[in-house]
Amino acid sequence: MAPVIEVSGLHKAYGDFEAVRGIDFDVSEGEIFGLLGPNGAGKTTTVEILEGLRSRSKGRVKVLGFDPEVSKRSLKDRIGVCLQATNLPDKLRVHEALEWFSAFYSRKADCNKLLQRLQLWGKRNDFYSKLSGGQKQRVALALALVNEPNLVFLDEPTTGLDPQVRLEIHSLIEELKANKRTILLTTHYIEEAERLCDRVAIIDEGKIVALGSPRELQERVFGQSRIEVVTAHPMPVEVPVFEAVAKYSLSDDCKTMVVDSTRPARTLPDLIKWIDQKGLELEDIHLKRPTLEDVFIELTGKKLRD
Amino acid sequence: MLNSYLTQIRMNLLLTLRNRMALFFSFIFPLIFFFAFSQGSGGGNGQQIVNLVLGLGVLGSGLFGVGMRAVQDREQNILRRFKVAPIGPGEILVSGLVTVMALQLPNMAFIVFLAHRMFGAPWPPQPISLLIFVSLGLFAFASIGGIIAALVNSMQEGVLITQLFYFPMLFLSGVTIPIAIMPAWLQTVAQFIPMTYFTTGLQPILRGTESLLDNATAASALALTAVLGTFLAAKLFRWEKEEKLRPAAKFWLLAVLGPFFVLGSWQMHAKTNIAKAKVLGREAQRSRTALIRDARLFLGDGTVIDQGSVLIKDGKIAEIYTGPAPDAKSLRADAIEAAGKTLLPGLIDVRVHLSLPGFPINDPQFYQNPDQSFDRELAAYLFSGVTAVKSAGDQPDMVGRHQAAIASGERLGSELFPDVKATDEAYQPALAALEARRAFQAGRTDLLERSLVQQVIPRQWFAQLKDAMKESARPEIIMNPLAPDLARKNLAEAYAAGRLLVVGTESGYPMVVHGPSAHRELQLWAEAGIPPAVALQAATYNAAKLLRADQRIGLIRKGYDASLLLVDGNPLQDISATERISTVFFKGERVDRSGLFEQK
Repeated sequence: MAPVIEVSGLHKAYGDFEAVRGIDFDVSEGEIFGLLGPNGAGKTTTVEILEGLRSRSKGRVKVLGFDPEVSKRSLKDRIGVCLQATNLPDKLRVHEALEWFSAFYSRKADCNKLLQRLQLWGKRNDFYSKLSGGQKQRVALALALVNEPNLVFLDEPTTGLDPQVRLEIHSLIEELKANKRTILLTTHYIEEAERLCDRVAIIDEGKIVALGSPRELQERVFGQSRIEVVTAHPMPVEVPVFEAVAKYSLSDDCKTMVVDSTRPARTLPDLIKWIDQKGLELEDIHLKRPTLEDVFIELTGKKLRD
Repeated sequence: MLNSYLTQIRMNLLLTLRNRMALFFSFIFPLIFFFAFSQGSGGGNGQQIVNLVLGLGVLGSGLFGVGMRAVQDREQNILRRFKVAPIGPGEILVSGLVTVMALQLPNMAFIVFLAHRMFGAPWPPQPISLLIFVSLGLFAFASIGGIIAALVNSMQEGVLITQLFYFPMLFLSGVTIPIAIMPAWLQTVAQFIPMTYFTTGLQPILRGTESLLDNATAASALALTAVLGTFLAAKLFRWEKEEKLRPAAKFWLLAVLGPFFVLGSWQMHAKTNIAKAKVLGREAQRSRTALIRDARLFLGDGTVIDQGSVLIKDGKIAEIYTGPAPDAKSLRADAIEAAGKTLLPGLIDVRVHLSLPGFPINDPQFYQNPDQSFDRELAAYLFSGVTAVKSAGDQPDMVGRHQAAIASGERLGSELFPDVKATDEAYQPALAALEARRAFQAGRTDLLERSLVQQVIPRQWFAQLKDAMKESARPEIIMNPLAPDLARKNLAEAYAAGRLLVVGTESGYPMVVHGPSAHRELQLWAEAGIPPAVALQAATYNAAKLLRADQRIGLIRKGYDASLLLVDGNPLQDISATERISTVFFKGERVDRSGLFEQK
């Protein structure tokens, strides 16, 4: 089956400034694909080219089989888009907003079902201005779904929302995935990408610096895991050399030790055995994988957010 | 497609109806205007108020309606949401426009209805023309507003620039301030303003004197601006406030105004629309309803009513009331209190020479522009309460031109009759001319001391007049053999013989001043023993008969032209009271006498 989105050699220049400098990726049906990168990396430009809102300078783009630059209307009719920082008129009721937008599309979702699914049923007669931030964001998501799109673009869907609401939106997105919709998600929240995305492309300065599942990315960059051990009594300073351990460090009170290992499955029992032998009484032991944030910093030398 | 338009319009309407500010400006504001103006003008002119309120409504809701809404939606990131939906700028602009029309047209119909119910304004006789023309106006102004919205970057800038268009259109288009009172250069400037053409079209269409087809040029210019403006506004449409526009794009605004630039340039030479604006201003004045209350009425045929009132409507005498005056308000008329005054038909002078100045003058400028002299002299007649004159010996083409300009209302002056042979044998003693000729020969300047004479002779010439009189005095030549005594005796005999007496002054000859001479003539008749009522009839009804216009002027009678003279005192006792002019009415218009000589 052909990919839902195909991008190859995509360039976009504004005068002398090249915002996008040769991007290639495909998104297959039913996948949640994440574009991760700091502000100004070229995420939004890329997405807007895919949505048919912007022309490209060079490269090949196919979305749902359409060239977005040529078949803008047909494409817009088939996709759902949730932009960041959009508004609706204050005195518009929630259900009216859905009716209004569904009038533009050839395929229409059942607005009542949509309202129920997005937990907006109780608010359907409220004015837009009376909604909370999370409710407004749910309305924006609902509007992106009024045409039952197979492909949904979510541009930073949780930016500016409090953690509780963010979790709610995350579960809604997971529900969409369960309904076999393809989702292109841009975000600069690492946890969001880690939790939701099947694959992530990390964009920096107009280029994809890494692409793969969050897990693959972490392993490709570090190829090792971190083990943290906490004991009731101070550990001896001389630690034996374990197999596959690259590095270890001890806290000041000598009760916490961090060990980086390329084969954690082998190192873990070695460590437990050693603590037992020394009679140090194990309080806690856990395995940590490096986060995407670490990956990002490693790849770009930048932080995602200031 | 249609569904998306309809939904868009339905939601726009819904949102407007929920917006208190929008409601106020679309519905309450025009009503406030309506009542404020009707109170201010005493209710004498319902149609004029409709004209004003419709004009302001079309201009205001057109300019501000669609455009500012788009800027606001853009500024609040609402348009961003529409950007990703399958809908184009054209659909958004067009449905915005239809919304404005759907809101404004019923509103305007309501104003017409109110004016009909409250002030008796007639129903517009050409409703289809009116509907189309008003819609075109709304469409055109909305598209100008739309293009401004496309070009500005913020609400603040948008409001400012829209106002930059609004105020000149409000004040220079003739809708609030009549074009006729503007200086000539400003009248020309006004011809570059779209609203001017809307105003000069709306008024006659509302009144039913013209149809849409008569205003085809204005309608096409409005339509062209509308289409061009909407097209360009769609082309330059910006969904987000972050989008920037090339600075050169601002010149597109000029393209939208292009049709009116072409019209204005053409009007700089043709001036037809300026003339039309003046005529319309005149018609508006003439269509007012007024009640002259409690005057002594001299009807023209010798009849006198000691206490009576005259209702003037649409330029005609609508009713004559004997006894105590009725209430003006219940008649929807402006009240003119005239107790102690006498109302006469406007005076008529059947023999005047407009090519001659009426006083000796050496200024070559005076002779260079005979058209200007004609204008000034005809104004002097009207100033003096002489509402009709018949030319004698003037160039027919000039007479025809001035006759037409006054008949159409483009200029304000005494009604001019051409020089055709009178078939009726009538006696015109022209005593004032005899008196003047003698004074002139003798170098006497006492005739210049009369108040009315001093009021009509231009200031710049008056100072030199006495010197000129003395210089041109020829006491040695007896130019007219007829002695005053003999002339008076002839008049008395003609009166006794029952001949038709008329006032014809020969004005234009030296010291037979255009206008005041008719009054002097009456005074000399009285001195010759003619009863004042007979003299007044000779200057009104008899003169009208001579002009074969006695079915229309010369009498105060229902259906006659409301060309009237209201004077202080009672000329039937003291004939010189005719010179103490209180008000002159010309075809229903209350003449602004002080402005007569300043017509542009």
